[in-house]
Amino acid sequence: MTQDAVEIRIGLGSCGIASGAEPVHQALRLAARKAGAPRIVKAVGCKGMCHREPLVEIIGRDGGSALYGNVTPHAAEQIVRRHFGRRSRTDLAPYRCEHTAQQRIVLENCGEIDPLDIDDYLARGGYQAFEQCRRERTPEQVIAIITESGLRGRGGAGFPTGRKWALGRAQASRTRYAICNGDEGDPGAFMDRAVLESDPHRVLEGLAIAAYAIGAREAYFYIRAEYPLAVAHVRAAIEQAERRGYIDGIRLEVREGAGAFVCGEETALIQSLEGRRGTPRLRPPYPVERGFRGQPTIINNVETLACVPWIMRHGAAAFAAFGTGASRGTKVFALAGKIRRGGLVEVPMGVTIREIVEEIGGGIPHGRTFKAVQLGGPSGGCIPARLAETPVDYDALARTGAIMGSGGMVVLDDRDCMVDMARFFLHFTQAESCGKCTFCRIGTKRMLEILERLCTGKSHAGDLDKLETLADYVSRGSMCGLGQTAPNPVMTTLRYFREEYEAHLQGRCPAGRCAALIRYQVNENCCGCTLCAQACPTGAIAARPYEKHAVDDERCTRCDMCRQACKDKAIEVI
Amino acid sequence: MRRIAWIAGLVAAACILVLLADAIIKPRPGDDKRITAARLARRSRDNVVGWVLIGSAGLFLVYAPKSGPRRAGKTDVTPTRRPEAHPHRVVRPEPVDLSFVDDLVEREGRSKEKAIALLQAIQSHYRYLPDEALRRLCERTEITPAQIAGTSSFYGQFRNRPIGRHIVRVCHGTACHVSGARQISDEVRRLLAIPDGEDTDAARLFTVEEVACLGCCSLAPVLMVDNQTAGRLTPSTAAEAFAPIENKEPA
Repeated sequence: MTQDAVEIRIGLGSCGIASGAEPVHQALRLAARKAGAPRIVKAVGCKGMCHREPLVEIIGRDGGSALYGNVTPHAAEQIVRRHFGRRSRTDLAPYRCEHTAQQRIVLENCGEIDPLDIDDYLARGGYQAFEQCRRERTPEQVIAIITESGLRGRGGAGFPTGRKWALGRAQASRTRYAICNGDEGDPGAFMDRAVLESDPHRVLEGLAIAAYAIGAREAYFYIRAEYPLAVAHVRAAIEQAERRGYIDGIRLEVREGAGAFVCGEETALIQSLEGRRGTPRLRPPYPVERGFRGQPTIINNVETLACVPWIMRHGAAAFAAFGTGASRGTKVFALAGKIRRGGLVEVPMGVTIREIVEEIGGGIPHGRTFKAVQLGGPSGGCIPARLAETPVDYDALARTGAIMGSGGMVVLDDRDCMVDMARFFLHFTQAESCGKCTFCRIGTKRMLEILERLCTGKSHAGDLDKLETLADYVSRGSMCGLGQTAPNPVMTTLRYFREEYEAHLQGRCPAGRCAALIRYQVNENCCGCTLCAQACPTGAIAARPYEKHAVDDERCTRCDMCRQACKDKAIEVI
Repeated sequence: MRRIAWIAGLVAAACILVLLADAIIKPRPGDDKRITAARLARRSRDNVVGWVLIGSAGLFLVYAPKSGPRRAGKTDVTPTRRPEAHPHRVVRPEPVDLSFVDDLVEREGRSKEKAIALLQAIQSHYRYLPDEALRRLCERTEITPAQIAGTSSFYGQFRNRPIGRHIVRVCHGTACHVSGARQISDEVRRLLAIPDGEDTDAARLFTVEEVACLGCCSLAPVLMVDNQTAGRLTPSTAAEAFAPIENKEPA
């Protein structure tokens, strides 16, 4: 391969930067300047292959590409030399992309275009859909296309987008608002961040089409403050699109969230936009009737809006061709946890969980076994490995007790304790409960106390029954989605992993996770290398070279550092 | 406001001086027995000066509290969320320069709807929400103290106490939790010698926070020092994430 590189892409999304992509970027630019082609380095967003970050992709003149993962600044320089026909001292081989079952609609441009350059987006058909809508289609026709495509809200509840827009259009008031919900609060989900960072114009165009369809002249982005890069990219995109006149007639504004999970709920989001405490209110009236500033408002998730320009360009039938039953199109999942190839994957609806975890994600690392996936964050549930053939569509997932949610998929292995998972999520929802409904405010607190008792071995008989009763009360006695779904993680783990709860009742943690129920012990494999003693932060292991070591249980804080330091698998958890 | 208070204060001071001077300058012996023209004139002048004093003192009292320098111990606009656990460690913030708030209000507008955006701007400027700045904000905008207290205590982002020079955010999202975020948190706190129930180390260099999700789940466990994210941590590599900063700071 000589001198045929026309573009060098470096992924500079949040996860890329976290893996050290900035120095790689500098090295690439320096090397490209030396090679006499200073302009070919392009900073792009997230390609979705977060497990290989920092990623460098070299596009050849023939259109072929070579992808390099885990690139260091030194390797970056060598890669550039290689592609310019010079001698190179790296044996880093291009990485072959194995994500075969994927179908990219939302992530079409992610990792391929420079998010801060509108021309890059325009070169890929950007803003054509919106132009075409304005010139050739009435708002009613736009809504009809969206309805026909079968697009449903990707934020969790799965409300048909076309119907929402039609309701917005039908309102009597002339002042209407369109809002993009980028308050991605679910721990374990990051697809909205990636899309906003890597392809902000796409979401912008989707929002502009939505505003046109319902007849809104003002539209807002509500984005979590924890995503500073996404906020900056969207602001830059709005500025560019306004300057070029692509979104004439619509005023766009970015508002930042302030760190409240409940603000992802639409009525709470509106309260927050109005500068108040983000507490949900009773529906009806739905925001589509009376929302922001008391006017009709439609609120769509980032991913939903990112689908819209694609549907407009390719037609409703092309979108509806993907998927099964009442779930059409594709869904982006954020794959994380105990998985080899974590990152963002976009699959057609109807693919099974096993395919995502084992084929796309590459299965469980370190020889452990696949135990469950946690789907839908704090509102979702744990689906056990034996139900892994469940297809990902709204209805099939709802039948298991989990929900599609925003698409966070955390894979758990046999070392993960399900009671601890339930406690973790309840701790989260309990802290994030706004306190308006008594059941949510106090019920979750009592449930959390029971789970904490279970995890510390202080539980009483009858705790499990009490937990089930409380779960039922909380979900029926709460007004918004947060409270109604807060017991889901507990309900699903109780349903599929009841034996683990019973073991905790007897003071055992089968997964070896709950600190109060486990002990560390040195077994016969110990060769006396003193590594564990050096790693121990509390001095619970005395260094005795060439002798079998022992853990002082009184001083041990169960930090797990000795087990990680041990080369001989001599530290075990009992 | 400020000018009226100044003028009234000066006039009152002048009146007090005149009255004092009159009292100090003793009349000649025997003079007090006779009613002379000079004595009558002085008495009527003292009457006038007295009335002016009362009036100007009243003006001063009305306007001074609104414009004068802040006094410690006034009622707080915002309720402190946590009682100060270690009063001896609380560093009194230096006097706050409020011109930023004035500029901000000019730039962003005065409507109630802007409350969160304004609070965010104030926090990013001062690194927390100083009482003085909040009071000024209430004076300059339509936002009420109640609204500020309500929103700033509701949203997790806002802080009412000054923080350390650097902020360490340890992610406790789902993926980080299953990959051992608890151990990372414990180790960071142990390394910085932060006592239980506190969030800042004794030198006020680092404040440690646990956050819900930083959105870098496939690099779990993750922590963020200021704006630098570090991923794929173990308790033993967690220290490296903030070592560069620690070295730069004078001990």
